[in-house]
Amino acid sequence: MSLNKAYTLGLAAARPALKYNLAAANVAAARSLKTSAAANMAVPNESAKPPLNKTFQIYRWNPDKPTEKPTLQSYTVDLNSCGPMILDALLKIKNEMDPTLTFRRSCREGICGSCAMNIEGGNTLACIAKIDRNTSKPSKIYPLPHMYIVKDLVPDLTHFYKQYKSIEPYLKQKNAPTDGRENLQTISDRKKLDGLYECILCACCSTSCPSYWWNQDEYLGPAVLMQAYRWMADSRDQFGRERRERLQNPFSIYRCHTIMNCAKTCPKGLNPGKAIAQIKKDMAFE
Amino acid sequence: MLATRSFTAWRAVAQNPIAKAVVAKNLAALPTGVRTISASPARNQHDSDILVKQRAVRPVSPDLKIYQPQLTWYMSGAVRITGSTLAGGLYAGVFAYLLGPLVGIQLDSASLVSAVAALPVAAKVGAKATLAFPFVYHSLGGIRHLVWDSGYALTLKGVYASGYAVLAGTVLGSLYLAAI
Repeated sequence: MSLNKAYTLGLAAARPALKYNLAAANVAAARSLKTSAAANMAVPNESAKPPLNKTFQIYRWNPDKPTEKPTLQSYTVDLNSCGPMILDALLKIKNEMDPTLTFRRSCREGICGSCAMNIEGGNTLACIAKIDRNTSKPSKIYPLPHMYIVKDLVPDLTHFYKQYKSIEPYLKQKNAPTDGRENLQTISDRKKLDGLYECILCACCSTSCPSYWWNQDEYLGPAVLMQAYRWMADSRDQFGRERRERLQNPFSIYRCHTIMNCAKTCPKGLNPGKAIAQIKKDMAFE
Repeated sequence: MLATRSFTAWRAVAQNPIAKAVVAKNLAALPTGVRTISASPARNQHDSDILVKQRAVRPVSPDLKIYQPQLTWYMSGAVRITGSTLAGGLYAGVFAYLLGPLVGIQLDSASLVSAVAALPVAAKVGAKATLAFPFVYHSLGGIRHLVWDSGYALTLKGVYASGYAVLAGTVLGSLYLAAI
């Protein structure tokens, strides 16, 4: 009862017990959702250049209407008032044209791996994929290939993460370190991890692999296999043999046919195909 | 048990230091290892039922239709396709040779040579090229695979360089085989 009164009368008036007597105007301002004044916001200088309109064709599917088939929806964006990356265009579309457009994003600098999607036929991160300024052709944006789609550009990565967990991506040892405190590693041994540890698990490579498309259930895929190799190659890990033993079956690693789509598409410039070939060699000579 | 106490009683305790100490002592005497809150599985079952129903109707995103044509997977697919067609052709040829006489068609070397010799030159060269092209491509692609398995040419540069080399070798090799 007393709470209702507070809302109708205005909070400042109904709270005489407040230690600091805030003016009603200040309290009202603190209640609004804006964090900075509109006058301080940057405004694009749209009158300076004629609009450079680029069409984006984006894959759409609504789980609230599951019987409707997925479609390509076209949006036109003025590139002269938009940032240079595909993610900038997607956010502009979502903010100004269609708020229902759904996609994952976080860091906007190519390190988190959230915005992985298929842009112009290749899997990359939307935040570091430059928009093609040629306005005569539309830009096609699809979700990562051959994945179950939750909504629009959002794939279901549950199985991908389960596969990553299955390779036990952590240091495993049988004996404690010799000095009892630190796991020492030479500089040359540390160099062996370069090109392996930088993986951000964006799933671009795995979803670019035709073998992973057809055998997703059993084949682990380049991302997970490269991480498996990262732990095999780590001089501090002592379970290399057991890790390779786990891959001794027709599917986990041997569905890789060295197609090398993975290395071509990796947005971080890594080479999972080479790592997988190295695992195969180690398994053959063990 | 604690939740049933009235609000006014707790306010009285908070304002009275002696009452505070007594309550604190009593609370300390409670066994701390006992959980008084339990998660209700029935509520989670409803949510997971919705999820299962949603998962059943999710579409699969397009793959072959939309993925950019690249040397990598196009050449890999071509090695596979040429391999299966050559194998299929070999099986078809062998079975035709074995079972031909049953149908009345002789497919031994002498009859084949005489049949082909009668054809015009263009047809002969064309047929040789059609057979040689997939054969040479598959063989050179196979060597490329052996190179990869040995650990060489696994960088992007190496993949593309060896890929173009295989394509060039295929053209030259099939032209040579078609000419002899």
